[in-house]
Amino acid sequence: MHKLKATNATRLLGFILLGLFLFYLSNTVDELRVYQGATVAMYVIAISSIILLTGYSGQVSLGHGALLAIGGYGAALVRNNFNAPIWIAFIAAILLAAFWGALLGATAARLSGPYLAGTTLALAVGLPSIANQFKFLGGEQGLIFDIGLPPAWLGQTFSQYKWFFWIAALTALIAMWWLQNLLRSGYGRTWRAVRTQSVAAELAGINIARSKILAFTLSAGLAGLAGAVLSMTISTVSPGAFPLSLSFALATGAVLSGVTTLGGVIIGSVTLVAIPEIADVVAHQVGASENATTNLPGLMVSGLLIVAVLFVPNGPVEQLKKKRSK
Amino acid sequence: MIRKNRRKLISASAVIAAGSMLLAATPAQAAEQGVSATSIKLGITIPMTGIASPGYNKIPGAMKAYFDYVNANGGVNGRKITLVVKDDQYIPTLAVAKANELILKDKVFALIGTLGTASTKAISRSAQLSARGIPSLFVNTGFSGFADKKAYPTSFSILPSYQMEAKVIGKYLDDNYAGKKIGLIYQDDDFGVDALNGFKQAGINFAIKVPYAAGSQGVAGVAGTWITKLQAAAPDVVILFGVSSATAAALGNAYAYKYAPKWILGSVGGDATTLAASKVPPAFLAGAKGLSFAPAPSDSADEYIKMFMDVNTTYNKGVAFDNNIVAGMTSAFLAVQAIKAAGPNLTRKGLMSAIEKGASTFANPALTPLGYSATSHVGATGYWIGTYDATGALKPDGGKYTVYTTDSGTGPVVLSNYKRPAMPAKGLPN
Repeated sequence: MHKLKATNATRLLGFILLGLFLFYLSNTVDELRVYQGATVAMYVIAISSIILLTGYSGQVSLGHGALLAIGGYGAALVRNNFNAPIWIAFIAAILLAAFWGALLGATAARLSGPYLAGTTLALAVGLPSIANQFKFLGGEQGLIFDIGLPPAWLGQTFSQYKWFFWIAALTALIAMWWLQNLLRSGYGRTWRAVRTQSVAAELAGINIARSKILAFTLSAGLAGLAGAVLSMTISTVSPGAFPLSLSFALATGAVLSGVTTLGGVIIGSVTLVAIPEIADVVAHQVGASENATTNLPGLMVSGLLIVAVLFVPNGPVEQLKKKRSK
Repeated sequence: MIRKNRRKLISASAVIAAGSMLLAATPAQAAEQGVSATSIKLGITIPMTGIASPGYNKIPGAMKAYFDYVNANGGVNGRKITLVVKDDQYIPTLAVAKANELILKDKVFALIGTLGTASTKAISRSAQLSARGIPSLFVNTGFSGFADKKAYPTSFSILPSYQMEAKVIGKYLDDNYAGKKIGLIYQDDDFGVDALNGFKQAGINFAIKVPYAAGSQGVAGVAGTWITKLQAAAPDVVILFGVSSATAAALGNAYAYKYAPKWILGSVGGDATTLAASKVPPAFLAGAKGLSFAPAPSDSADEYIKMFMDVNTTYNKGVAFDNNIVAGMTSAFLAVQAIKAAGPNLTRKGLMSAIEKGASTFANPALTPLGYSATSHVGATGYWIGTYDATGALKPDGGKYTVYTTDSGTGPVVLSNYKRPAMPAKGLPN
């Protein structure tokens, strides 16, 4: 049914065009949207890290916030102590989070289902408060993560948020390009085999534990990168920035995006950023009380989650594909 | 046809975008953002929901009530003040997002009363408050750093620092409980570290120190272990230097264990209505010591409290009058004084220099001197110590406020003879 078989070259072209479009967009919309765009880019990376883990290798993580925290702290420490350029800080975040992800993955490979969910959840609860125990992590106030002003050649009117957005969007594009290549490679096929039929996969000669640990490590690396981007957008890193609700929001975003395909990741990311704003508008329209206004976003996210699970359990993108191929 | 239309649309939007950029590039002509001839818009982001919200979520309502009262009486220099409220759930990431909405979408003139050290720091950095010259008035945190004009040029403190508080408690212990065994429960992070520094300077040696990790107070059984530890060491006086939920957990367990030393409650966790909401019977508090820099909420003889009570009854219907209301209205009152002092041509710069120049002499409810100056953004500089009665109300001993002032450094704690400026007629800007 597919008329146009996408090749690597056309995909790369697609990514470049998307990048150019985002670049154009960043120059036309107002500063608040640019800032929100940076947040969307952060969510894209974080949610795709969950999709890699859950959708492809079949492992559940309710504690991704903790891995984001590791990345955020890693980036800030490298930046503050060695005055490293931003991209080195990002790479450090990836490596550090991937290292911890490998350790966690080794444990996780022995667990499955609710036990794994419980273990990762405990991590999300416990890890951020570790920052309070060590002075070099800055305690409750956390650390400053200042990437500095945009370069002077971009001009006087070039705002800090546009700079954040450019960095975040470029990072997300590169990460997505890498990830979609990875998922279509032998590794991706191996993970899918493990997820759908682990016994058959084992019989086919796949080392299940190794494949799971690898997935966890790479997913953690991506999560670390997302954490570094998140910390950049708020210029600080502190335990409070990685609450349990962040981990849940990411899981929610993954479900809304469709956990088995990377294609819908932007849907979940935009939804997470847009919902509070939509809720604000709705609350204003109906003149809701303050109490209702503050609780509306949570209600809307939960409602959407239920609707998504009921009607598009594999995500909207998968659903569309199915319809088209019928 | 559709394609043509779309192309038209794209080129049209490009033209509009280019036009709006040109407009944005021309220097601002009329008034500052958030100010018109008839209005001033302020914004606050604060935990309205979530673990840190109890008590603090009453602050915006209290501010609004006082602003409404001022507006109903003609506003400030003919301008009415509105307050846009956002909920950040005590999460720094959300706090930055909400602050950005306030600044970029709601286009507020200034921020006021942001709560929490990590959130306030993140907002200041990420939203580039100092580079953009956006005032952040009367932040709700006792972290002494925000008073540092060099690090946070547009932020202004209001609460005395944790270190000041610990030093004042130290002085009180020295004067009244010399030679007795002292115990302490504190939060094991910067909040507690600041306090420990203050106690150390005051020369207090603890018989027992019980640290708790932030958040652990909510875990079943944890607070009970604090009390068994205290019982084993048997101090005569126990200082509770934690947030409301931890203070409530400690007192609740002490009540269950029938453990009753002499309590001293730090101001952060010492609000009686918040404690009562957490099921600590007010009677159990009777005789405990507490601190505040503003007049006691129950002190209706105080002209400010009397006025605030009236404002609360009219403009904040059905909300119980307590410390949080007093705190919110105090910040709102100071903000109004500052806006008044900044004059009819209100600018952000003008507002900040008005506070630096005059705020130490502004009419305001605080019973301690305010430390604002050209070089410092310190707010209140000390505390009075009182006793909780059987209804849970904190009252000054002997019906008279004994106020101590100090600094966040190595300065001594001294008895203050500060005389607060009289309240302007009806509590309105004059």
